[in-house]
Amino acid sequence: MLLRTDKICKYFGGLKAVDEVDFTLKKGQLKSIIGPNGAGKTTLFNLIAGAYLPTKGKVFLKDKDISRMTLNRVSRLGVVKTYQINHIFPSLTVFENLRIAAQVRKTSFNFWRQAASFGEINEQAEQIMTQVELKEKRNWPASTLSHGERRYLEIGIALATEPEVLLLDEPTAGMSCAETNHCAEMIQKLNTDLGLSIVLVEHDMSVVMSISEEILVMNEGRTLAEGTPREVSDNEEVQRVYLG
Amino acid sequence: MVDNSTNTIQQLHAPPKPLVVYGAIFVLLFLPLVISTPLATEILIWAIFGMGFNLLLGYTGVLSFGHAAYFGLGAYSAGLAFRYLDAHLFVGIVAGILAPMILACFIGALAIRKRGVYFAMISLAFAQMLYFLALSPLKEITRGEDGLTHIPAMALFSFSLGKPLPLYYFVLVITAIMLYSTWRILQSPFGKLLQAFRENEERAKACGYNTTLVKFFSLVISAFYAGLAGALNTVYLGYVPLTTLFWLTSGTMVMMTILGGKGTFLGPLVGVGVFLFLQNTISLITPRWELFVGSIFVAIILLFPGGIMGTVEEKIAAYRMRRASK
Repeated sequence: MLLRTDKICKYFGGLKAVDEVDFTLKKGQLKSIIGPNGAGKTTLFNLIAGAYLPTKGKVFLKDKDISRMTLNRVSRLGVVKTYQINHIFPSLTVFENLRIAAQVRKTSFNFWRQAASFGEINEQAEQIMTQVELKEKRNWPASTLSHGERRYLEIGIALATEPEVLLLDEPTAGMSCAETNHCAEMIQKLNTDLGLSIVLVEHDMSVVMSISEEILVMNEGRTLAEGTPREVSDNEEVQRVYLG
Repeated sequence: MVDNSTNTIQQLHAPPKPLVVYGAIFVLLFLPLVISTPLATEILIWAIFGMGFNLLLGYTGVLSFGHAAYFGLGAYSAGLAFRYLDAHLFVGIVAGILAPMILACFIGALAIRKRGVYFAMISLAFAQMLYFLALSPLKEITRGEDGLTHIPAMALFSFSLGKPLPLYYFVLVITAIMLYSTWRILQSPFGKLLQAFRENEERAKACGYNTTLVKFFSLVISAFYAGLAGALNTVYLGYVPLTTLFWLTSGTMVMMTILGGKGTFLGPLVGVGVFLFLQNTISLITPRWELFVGSIFVAIILLFPGGIMGTVEEKIAAYRMRRASK
């Protein structure tokens, strides 16, 4: 098992945002987390990514306990999250956004050598830029991009850090129908072509059902059901609570 | 290679081309022909201070309201070394650099996790502590309110730095080195990281960066500049006024940087130049010069919130954008 949580809990005062959830992810798997608003999807994400400390329970990456590690340490171990609301470097160019992410494993505190002279990092940034289809906007400040392009950049930044597990938090939020389909294709490519293990939180059910290998359904902080898209959509409990 | 011919829009406030660095140094060569040499020297010294402060405020986005601590400590360390140890020019300057860097490590270790106004206030408190230490408990060696006097005139090889012009060019060589170094830092992976931190700390963290360390290094580097400027100020003035440690020095630095344009490469140089030039010119006419300089400051910030160089860069970026979209 690549990634798993063991009865993970996060309480905010009296609110049990995540309550004893066992989540597992196999290497190369694309797994989605769905649930109504306030089900605890993003909280579970943040617990896995190291953005929150769990109240109880543990997170394991290849049997290594990462529950008490900070966001940046978890990221360096290869579990990288994206954000529901765009978190980019707005006044830097698209290329700089990607280059900064790409340099994290190679050089961070080099004060003197020119960033432009690090061939490998620059090549990697260029390659990611092609993957997320932003080559045309290479030298544009990220703040001038459209919403859809920013969502791609958001994914690109995470990709550039060379993750083993990619945690995508509603990547298609705010996208048009056509953009959503295109983005779903891109995510599937990352999974099949690059072999990336992906955890996806998504509201768009057509995306979830078409690209996920497995789905975890959450409700009120707890696991409601888990299985293949078919199993989940056939589950009566899920239909009652979520699918309507 | 990527064809950039169609992508002419550059990021706002990007580090400049090398030509800007060399051009600025070239212009500074002739500054004593335009304004008095002592004023030109003062501008260079404060510009070094400003470059370091801008790295922290403009590029990293961290406001320190106690940078007088590093500037003043640099001035006093050099002054004490010159006066009591009869130290060589470079030994005094190195002392003036190292002491503030050590102080920055200490303040950084204690307070760097604090954000925004909390960090600004803690740094102010430390600076004021140092001020009162120099004022009274350490009066025997710092000479308290009188400032540290009787510092011998410095010489570099056979050139006396007691004369304005050799001193100016000595300070200019150091300014040129610092301008070039700043440019190198901004182009380096670390410089890029500073800007990423300023733009979005949370995301920098999610990329795997230890952002506390980024802020810490930025503070220590900034203290290097401030200490160097402080030491040079001692060489320039021949004494160390107590006011180098006073909060007003920190405040003036904040004003100069914002006036010139924080987060722009030439901003500190321009801000310091305009500020000191106005101060010198208006104080000849009226002793109430602060009132006029303050009014001009308010007017510039209201009309051009990005400061002088910030506005210039915005205009250039807007022009490029218009041209690119045609």
